[in-house]
Amino acid sequence: MLSDLFRQKLENAEISPSPALGSKLMHRVGRREFLRFNPSRFNIWYAGAAVAAAAALTAALLHSPEVSEDQNHQPKPLEISSPADLTSESSGTSIAEPGKGKPEPRKQPEVNKAAIPGRETSSTGGAGAGTAKPATTGETGKVSILPTAGIIREPDDANSKLKNNKPLAYIEASAEEGCAPLIISFRSPASENDSCAWHFGDEGRSAARNPVWTFNNEGEHRVTLEVYGPGGRSAASLTITVHPRPTARFEKADEDTEQAVEYISFRNFSDGAEKYRWSFGDGTGSDLFEPRHRYNKPGNYDVRLIAVSPEGCTDTVTTINVASSPGYHITFPNAFTPNLTGPSGGYYSRASDEASRIFHPVHNGVTEFHLTIFSKMGIMVFESNDINYGWDGYYKGQLCDPGVYVWKVRGKFINSDEFNKIGDVTLLNN
Amino acid sequence: MMSDQQIIEGCAKHERKAQQLLYDKYSRFLLGVCLRYATDRSEAEDILQESFLKIFFNIKDFSGTGSFIGWLRKVAVNTAITHYHKNLKFRYHIEIEEFVSVETGTLSFEEDFFTSDELFRVLNELPPGYRMVFNLYAVEGYKHKEIAEMLGIDTNTSKSQYSRAKAAIREKLDRLRTIKRTYSAGTDDKRI
Repeated sequence: MLSDLFRQKLENAEISPSPALGSKLMHRVGRREFLRFNPSRFNIWYAGAAVAAAAALTAALLHSPEVSEDQNHQPKPLEISSPADLTSESSGTSIAEPGKGKPEPRKQPEVNKAAIPGRETSSTGGAGAGTAKPATTGETGKVSILPTAGIIREPDDANSKLKNNKPLAYIEASAEEGCAPLIISFRSPASENDSCAWHFGDEGRSAARNPVWTFNNEGEHRVTLEVYGPGGRSAASLTITVHPRPTARFEKADEDTEQAVEYISFRNFSDGAEKYRWSFGDGTGSDLFEPRHRYNKPGNYDVRLIAVSPEGCTDTVTTINVASSPGYHITFPNAFTPNLTGPSGGYYSRASDEASRIFHPVHNGVTEFHLTIFSKMGIMVFESNDINYGWDGYYKGQLCDPGVYVWKVRGKFINSDEFNKIGDVTLLNN
Repeated sequence: MMSDQQIIEGCAKHERKAQQLLYDKYSRFLLGVCLRYATDRSEAEDILQESFLKIFFNIKDFSGTGSFIGWLRKVAVNTAITHYHKNLKFRYHIEIEEFVSVETGTLSFEEDFFTSDELFRVLNELPPGYRMVFNLYAVEGYKHKEIAEMLGIDTNTSKSQYSRAKAAIREKLDRLRTIKRTYSAGTDDKRI
């Protein structure tokens, strides 16, 4: 047997893949692994976490004077550390009366509140005399110490991080990955006096402080921010991953003669997707790649397909009125070969009529039907009011001569459209 | 050498080494499966890559009860089916000569007469629809009903495709046999 031959020879046949294939595959695996969450391996989640941690750390170091007390992320770190702010009044009052002086009602409450825990921290840190005077907290009170300390000590403390006059640069993004087109709003800590230069990795740039950008192209985009302030220039960067969006596309399959006509089959031409969600408009759905569906009632149904890519991006396409009139049709073959051994009756089913022994239409949605067939002499050789009853090629028990016969059909579809057709059919005899 | 069990466990933990071992061990076999469903070698390798990605990322779905190699084969076959569907739009037509080809009697085929290379080539040259049905039915041993579901076609379509595929294969093998007989005396030329 043919199938045995193939099974025996090919079922366990082995073919060596081309040598490059293995490494190509592992490369793809690596890329996918990177995007996948896996606690035991470095991947995008870790990269993201590392970036976030780095950003947070930077923020903490430069921001700590305010962040420690003021939870609202007041984005003005420069006012505190920049020399312009080192006004004699504010520093003077802080030294003289920590906790009581009120020359500037707007800033002072923060400073005061901050000053008290600040002293405590430094004292537990081991400075000893810290409780007596904030000014003595000196070397030990580094980052944990508060605005007052920072400002006062600025001139002496050369390596304090707070001395940094550079503007602050880090990037906050509303998301770090998503589906194209991906709209991301960015935030920078820059103040009004700083100027920003954003590059979005796709030729796009912006000078706004908090820009919103749309990434249309898939891939990894390295977003960089440069902040130019009075004290210098800082830069930060962040990678935004844009996943490709799949394309959802489907068509209703043309019924061929062998398909059950009451079913509608769908051909799926989607691209870049691995999962599919169909809804057929009558409350039912499917997850198959190419489903077949049967509507219980004729009507206007909208079919929707959602294609989902491996990264979870989706695309939706809807075809309105899928089962509408193009679906209702009646067509006749132009030739057939009757059963030569005797009349076969005329009733056909799909299974029994594969060899087209009976002349009958391919149809969908027909409710009323009247078919007549005439010979060349004008004799009516066949008449039917039943769509499931076709001509077997016999007239009064006799096989008709081979040749051309003319048929005429009229009737109605479910949507009450009428049809009226005339055509010819060749009776073959072999 | 790691056992299958160890490889599976390693792959489930996404260990690169286990994945490499799995590839080394089974890629030849799976490429044999893929090649039966493809038009040529490069298409087969595409399917193979997709299959391995699926295998690596879904190895947890392997229950551990059935045969592992059977599971691998099934993944490859399903991938091939998906691939076939994806490319269907380019291949909708059936050559008219293929369509009318008739059965040329029942010849017995001596099993050693054709090499597996030649059989692969015969399959590769079949129209994709025939090839899918023939492979699934004759080699993989699925029922027509299952095939119809997998390919989204009618059971009768599957049956008729299968018989047409058989006819087409017979014809090709006959031609091949004639050529081989003619040439077998002197040369090794086995081209169709």
